[in-house]
Amino acid sequence: MVDSTAGSDTMENLIANFNYVIVVILMMIGLWAMLAQKNLIKKCIGMAIFQTGIILFFISIGAKNEAKVPILSKFVVENSSAIIVNDYANPLTQILMLTAIVVGVATLGVGLALAQKVYQQHSTFHEDEILENQRK
Amino acid sequence: MVLFALISLSIQNLMGAAIVFGAYSFMMCLIWAGMGAVDVAFTEAAVGAGVSTVFIVSTIYNTSATMRSRPGGMAFKFFIGVVVTLAGAFLLSALTDFPDWGDPNSPVNATVVPYYIENSIDDTHVPNLVTSVLADYRGFDTLLETTVVFIACIAIYSILRIETAKSKTDETEEGITSPPSYNPSDSLIVRQASRFMIPFMQLFALYVIAHGHYSPGGGFQGGVILGASLILLAISFDLKFLLRHWREKSLMLLVASGVFLYAAVGLACVFMGGNYLEYGILDSILPGDQAMARSHGILLVEIGVGITVMFSMVAIHINLASNGRFDRGL
Amino acid sequence: MEILAYTLISTGLIFFLGTTIGLLRFPDFYSRMHAAGKGDTLSTVVILLGCICIVSTQGDMSWLLGLKILLIINFIFIGSPTATHAMMDAGNKAGAEPWRKDSK
Repeated sequence: MVDSTAGSDTMENLIANFNYVIVVILMMIGLWAMLAQKNLIKKCIGMAIFQTGIILFFISIGAKNEAKVPILSKFVVENSSAIIVNDYANPLTQILMLTAIVVGVATLGVGLALAQKVYQQHSTFHEDEILENQRK
Repeated sequence: MVLFALISLSIQNLMGAAIVFGAYSFMMCLIWAGMGAVDVAFTEAAVGAGVSTVFIVSTIYNTSATMRSRPGGMAFKFFIGVVVTLAGAFLLSALTDFPDWGDPNSPVNATVVPYYIENSIDDTHVPNLVTSVLADYRGFDTLLETTVVFIACIAIYSILRIETAKSKTDETEEGITSPPSYNPSDSLIVRQASRFMIPFMQLFALYVIAHGHYSPGGGFQGGVILGASLILLAISFDLKFLLRHWREKSLMLLVASGVFLYAAVGLACVFMGGNYLEYGILDSILPGDQAMARSHGILLVEIGVGITVMFSMVAIHINLASNGRFDRGL
Repeated sequence: MEILAYTLISTGLIFFLGTTIGLLRFPDFYSRMHAAGKGDTLSTVVILLGCICIVSTQGDMSWLLGLKILLIINFIFIGSPTATHAMMDAGNKAGAEPWRKDSK
């Protein structure tokens, strides 16, 4: 008895918060790509997918129901006592994610530069061939 | 978008994977705009769907474009799949503790953020909450992030850059496919169209930087669009055309000068007697009262960020596209 | 005014559907690019014209917003066919063969 109610409760919870499920799926796809794909460029793409999954997580926890964009309109600027906090989406998580996106593209650039340098040495992007070349 | 991610990982041809990755970035950008995060969506559209895809394509252009499929290795992939699924289930088991989606009273939304929403307009006269918190309340983070972009530019430069004297000797031995030579009569339409569009792109990017106080935008987005306009110049004309106008030394100096501007504004605040990066102290040299001085300080800082990001993107593209040699390229 | 907007947006979507069907069904690289380039640009322009009609019915300063959307239409109209041309040129250089009726 206890098991079935706990099970259905979890299912309801899962469906109501399906944004977290999507985030975990995206993160796991990125992680799988970084570990299991043999091609270096695919690993870099997997890293970028992981990063966008994390950004989606932060943005989705900052979203509020029927909330507007966090930019104050002209009417509110003039009489600043008319600000209702729950009218605006959470700006703090968006700021952290702005930083995260830019740092992500910087990391992607460095990863691609390293991949190019590796290609210059071994003339392949495939991981197994690189390891074989190194062992010789 | 899960489908897009899976497809971009499974395409054999690397060029196709790069293009599908660009489409995936666009989908994510639309989803974030739908959730009310327009600044983030703007940045992702400029950075992820634009510049990231160009970087991947430049890397593939200098090297081989296909991926030979190796037989076997399925067991390894399956094993990793099982490990990853277990990790995912472990993460999902914490789901019941999470706040509901869109709840205004969750701990994220209810503790620190109301102070920012209510007081930011009185303190800084900037209606865009994201810009005011990014460049004023949390200014240290933005300074260090600009430094991170600068360091990434230097890192790519030091990994890939080869002096031309050395490259002449080992050019025949390396496995790099040489790009086809540039024929000026080929790309007349592309050249004329880009010649028309680039000034408007730069004007729009300057507008985005300056108008970041009142609309979505700010330093990063404008800087990336400016950098993308120069990358468009490099792609549609030859890379040498861009290098004739922007020499390598001046590019690197300008990347550094953006970070320097940001740090110098902070130091100026210290010289005037306040804390580091406390723009309110600058109201004796900048016009207006303390709140307006903070607004002007935010503008100066955003300009510094924009300069660094712009030239950093251009320098990274040149390094990636010409494999460090700075002569031919995409 | 709103009826006009909805009509324009749905027309744009129908054009887009036609583009997608053409992208899938045409036998050759060049004809597919033809369908994608023209249909894509046209449907985007029509949808944005519908957006101008919607924007002009609500809010103040709406003519400024409409002008901005008109500028966007202008740049898409110039940029998208150029990109199609560049892709077809690249395909020609890479050696894609046009489809002939007798080659199966």
